[in-house]
Amino acid sequence: MSNVIHASNLTLAYDEGRKEIIKNANFNIKKGEFVFITGPSGSGKSTLLKALYGALKPTEGSLVVGGLDLANTRQSKLQELRTHMGIIFQDYKLVNEWTVAKNVVLPLMIAGYSTDVQNTQAQRLLKHVKLSEHADKYPIELSGGEQQRVGVARALSKNPVVILADEPTGNLDDYSSNVIWDLMENACQQLETTVLVVTHKIPTIFSLPYRHFIIESKGVYEVH
Amino acid sequence: MKFIKNHLMFILPLMAILLGIEFYLVFERTTGTYEQGLKEDYSMLVVTQKPVKLETLKALNSHISTIRPIKREQIVSKVTKGLDKKGSKEILKSLPYFYDVGLDAYLDTKALGEIKKDLEKDKRVKKVETFRSSYGSSYRLFRFVKLILNIFIVFMGVVSLFLIIKQMEIWKYEHRQRMQVMEIFGAPLMLRSGVLFKIAIVDAIFATLMTAGLFFYAKLIWAPQSGINIIVANQEKLFRMTDMGILLVAALLIVIIAVYSVVFSARGVEE
Repeated sequence: MSNVIHASNLTLAYDEGRKEIIKNANFNIKKGEFVFITGPSGSGKSTLLKALYGALKPTEGSLVVGGLDLANTRQSKLQELRTHMGIIFQDYKLVNEWTVAKNVVLPLMIAGYSTDVQNTQAQRLLKHVKLSEHADKYPIELSGGEQQRVGVARALSKNPVVILADEPTGNLDDYSSNVIWDLMENACQQLETTVLVVTHKIPTIFSLPYRHFIIESKGVYEVH
Repeated sequence: MKFIKNHLMFILPLMAILLGIEFYLVFERTTGTYEQGLKEDYSMLVVTQKPVKLETLKALNSHISTIRPIKREQIVSKVTKGLDKKGSKEILKSLPYFYDVGLDAYLDTKALGEIKKDLEKDKRVKKVETFRSSYGSSYRLFRFVKLILNIFIVFMGVVSLFLIIKQMEIWKYEHRQRMQVMEIFGAPLMLRSGVLFKIAIVDAIFATLMTAGLFFYAKLIWAPQSGINIIVANQEKLFRMTDMGILLVAALLIVIIAVYSVVFSARGVEE
């Protein structure tokens, strides 16, 4: 299977290269794989994820996502790449002045789909994440677990090539966490979406085969 | 309530700038007429030994535009009362020639001095009286009023601009979250800033219409009832349709610059 993500001698740093977070990392992630990235706090997990959606340029080496080298990519190409990604955040990053349904179809809105298509997709996705009755509510009216389900529905709305999730269950109780893991497992299994999850703890009840990388002392290592 | 306050906080400073622009336009138009009046009313007195023509004086200084001879008979008539015809003729013969000389522009006193010097270079010219002191004081007063008004307009514009920037900071804070989320999911600049542009353009149109409304009111209702001669005489100049275009372009330019500053400062995906 083809590589969706390929990192070669990847170095990521802040402060114009002065503060190195990850150094000379090498890894490949294939289509349809489920990958966990763990590591202690401040090790650079979120930084790596940020680089994967193009919010941080590699300082050295190359990082290729969906065939695009993020070290040398124009902003317009980066925008296009992001439309093929589903991104899930620990703090949900929902737009508070939009309804749940409008939040869910944001990627479709950006891609220019008609309102009819957006409405149909919103209904289908909200049913999928069991939030149909909350379509017209605002994020602030939902619990943390429900908000994260909206986040997952938004990430899935355009059948993304890759889902990047940053501590998706970090703020949730066990029940809500299990719902989120189920949704992501399904996406990986049924849609062959590559899922990359940054987390401090791999869930104990996880049925899919997965790969596990750990970030330690600026390096990215695969755990076998 | 918050919605109205948000818009007013943008519309009012924008209106202040537009009022400043319109005041400037109106003042330039009305004082243009006043300046023209001063220019037309003003003339200097030139005394020559022999009769001269306009071309002769124009050759000495290009600012000279009109020349009107003063009838010498009128001057001598009072002096020659009781004298016979011969005596009157003798006096008239020895009397120099007097001319009212008009200029092509409203000049300062220094320029008047230059004209006097140029004219007195010619041997035929005996005397030039420019009435500099009375002319200079009205000119200086006119320039002073103009300067004060321009300073006031600039000051008002700068203060309003600061208020607009302040309001932009609030907009930036209010719209930052939505714009960043949209950026994360790959929305192009125009899509993520579309709402801001719509709000700002609507506000710009409102501010233009309200400013134009004030001046229309002044022109059509207040001016005829004001009883102030200069206002009544210049009523037509208080607001013109072309001003509406100037105000709208200025308002749109200001809001587009303001919105772009917000959009660009809100860029950069954050975790």
